Amino acid sequence: MHPVRNVVIVGGGTAGWLTAGVIAARHQGRIKAGTFSVTLIESPNVPIIGVGEGTWPTLRTTLEKMGVSETDLFRHCDAAFKQGAKFARWTTGAADDAYYHPLMLPQGFTQVNLAPHWLAGGKDQSFCDAVTPQGVLCDDGLAPKMITTPEYQAVANYAYHLDAGKFAPFLQKHCTAKLGVCHIQADVQTVNQLENGDIKSVTTQQAGEIAGDLFVDCTGFRSLLLGQALGVPFKDCNDVLFCDTALAMQVPYDTPDAPMASHTISTAHAAGWTWDIGLPTRRGTGYVYSSRHVSDEQAEETLRSYVGPAVRGLTPRKISIRSGHRETFWKNNCVAIGLAAGFLEPLESSAIVLIELSAKLIAEQMPANREVMDIIAARFNDVNHYRWGRIIDFLKLHYVLTQRPEKFWQDNLDPASVPARLQNLLHLWKYQPPWFFDEFDRIEEVFPAASYQYVLYGMGFRTEVAAAENEGTRSQAAGFLSEAMNLTRKLRAQLPRNRDLVKKIHDYGLQPI
Amino acid sequence: MTNITVLNSQDHRTLRVQPGASPRYGDDKRFVAVIVGEFPFVAVHYPILLTKDAQTGGFLVGAMLGFDEDENLFLDEKGMESYRPLNLQRGPFFTAGSDLAIDVDHPRIGGGELLFTEAGEPAPYLRRMMSLFRDLVPGSDTTRAFIEIIIRLKLVEPIDITASFDDGGKRTLTDLYTINQEALRALPDAAAIDLFRKGYLQLIYLMIGSLKQIPVLAQKKNRRLLAATASLGA
Repeated sequence: MHPVRNVVIVGGGTAGWLTAGVIAARHQGRIKAGTFSVTLIESPNVPIIGVGEGTWPTLRTTLEKMGVSETDLFRHCDAAFKQGAKFARWTTGAADDAYYHPLMLPQGFTQVNLAPHWLAGGKDQSFCDAVTPQGVLCDDGLAPKMITTPEYQAVANYAYHLDAGKFAPFLQKHCTAKLGVCHIQADVQTVNQLENGDIKSVTTQQAGEIAGDLFVDCTGFRSLLLGQALGVPFKDCNDVLFCDTALAMQVPYDTPDAPMASHTISTAHAAGWTWDIGLPTRRGTGYVYSSRHVSDEQAEETLRSYVGPAVRGLTPRKISIRSGHRETFWKNNCVAIGLAAGFLEPLESSAIVLIELSAKLIAEQMPANREVMDIIAARFNDVNHYRWGRIIDFLKLHYVLTQRPEKFWQDNLDPASVPARLQNLLHLWKYQPPWFFDEFDRIEEVFPAASYQYVLYGMGFRTEVAAAENEGTRSQAAGFLSEAMNLTRKLRAQLPRNRDLVKKIHDYGLQPI
Repeated sequence: MTNITVLNSQDHRTLRVQPGASPRYGDDKRFVAVIVGEFPFVAVHYPILLTKDAQTGGFLVGAMLGFDEDENLFLDEKGMESYRPLNLQRGPFFTAGSDLAIDVDHPRIGGGELLFTEAGEPAPYLRRMMSLFRDLVPGSDTTRAFIEIIIRLKLVEPIDITASFDDGGKRTLTDLYTINQEALRALPDAAAIDLFRKGYLQLIYLMIGSLKQIPVLAQKKNRRLLAATASLGA
């Protein structure tokens, strides 16, 4: 038997350090006893990509389990609250065309599906505003909690916007100081394999040969271990998701206390969409587009006119996106996480949540020895194929309900570009709204049925609902709808302004309980 | 509104302050912060609990005096019936650095005790206040240090207080915290000895013991409610 005792992660950045932290936190007992180790090899010469600034609420649990203080996260990573995303101009392109995908589930979601009741009703309110307070909280610029709410606890569900360039060093410090992760700064020159293809060790320029039992490839788009050494091919998804280029730009605020949105603002344009993320010290903005549909110059013009007068003197940074993922994520004793596993596009911030979920699966299911590793690898691959597939479906959903006339948008409507599973669901959803029986029932589903509801009904999708069918749950649904209204009123009166709370966290900190 | 200014014998020579406790002077507080030096006096009358400062989220330790906002069950027109915490005795006075300051718009101003003698020397009442602040200022620092340690050792847990009254009313207080006794028992020896040597262990047990005042407080409120109902009936 070949026990798995030494995990070697190649690559720093968000993926590497989150993975190191999640695995090390889960196996603290063995690390302290000296029977298990987590080593992270990071090149002192390769810069991290660091544009991922949007996260999912899962990050709260992930960081809490790692023993990170939320107050420190706010203070050291320029972090702010994210309560979801506002999608502007995705449906018709008109100035008042907008909907929210909030992070709170519709009220009473596990007990009754409010969608058919909303559909049958007068619809004098948007779906989001009828079923949850969160869209209104975002409109009002309110924070999702109070200064008296303990760390990681929410009044309204939330994730973070953060400075990815500060996040990785922040995690590094925590992992090495508190969790016993061994940090080696060296460039990997060769990957040394056994006859069966397993990675035996990596040879580095500065630190010699480093052996391990399980290797985690966090080397970014290069995929040095899984892609290059083990030869796992890359599967393109650009036939479904057309965006292949991003122009990113950091925009200063007019004044230090300018209002700060507590949601990501995603605005559709002729050949893609812009993100707009409010951090305490600046906005992170960018245009993600299809280079087949627009030139870089025109794209830059679009971004500049979106940003407005604050754009003077700023130069965008260009990032190429190869939309897709590895055909297999775990092969032999090597598993890829983060950009090394793949990347789709920044829409809906799926990158960091995938890192967390993958790291957690590895940490929880850490194979005891090499002999059982293939069983875990098969499980990991199965789960990840499912996740990537569902994320592709969900991202594509944002593009297939549009009425925008531009070629980029019309091309997105081509059935040949829509995955079969999504086509089936869209067909089904004409006659019944999504809920629990639509297969979004995995324990760690990235986007639950509620997310599909917010996008579908936010974009004016029609589901035929017979009023008589609602009879059985009518009074229960009415109860939850009025609960949502009362909660909206209560939270509007109670919650502070987003920027004010972030400032208070800097000044006073949040309490651990 | 408040209008706080540094106290001096020129401007405030003829100022008079009402020293007594009364709802008219804002003493009708549900919760009043206390310093650790007061714990032995407080614990025999009131529950000693923690709550959070609404402005900073920071923890305060203090005496619970009632169930409703602005309800001090120990206060009537004649004053406080039992121990009067320093923060209720201090009246309109504050500190500004090492100086004593006064809120000249405080409801206690006008009538009552003179602050200065004709010669401009502090009068007996002001001397009592000066002495009070000599306890309160360093006491607040010690109290902050005590709170920091019990939070760091994870000895604090929320306590939900629910009380039902004979008039059919019910109160649930969710913003209060107390000592987690299980966590206290699980402390490593070194930490326990450190708490003991610092004198903090005794404070912790006073807090635990004072929880027995909660039902007493509820009975007191119940009697008030019944008396009010009875007088309405008559």
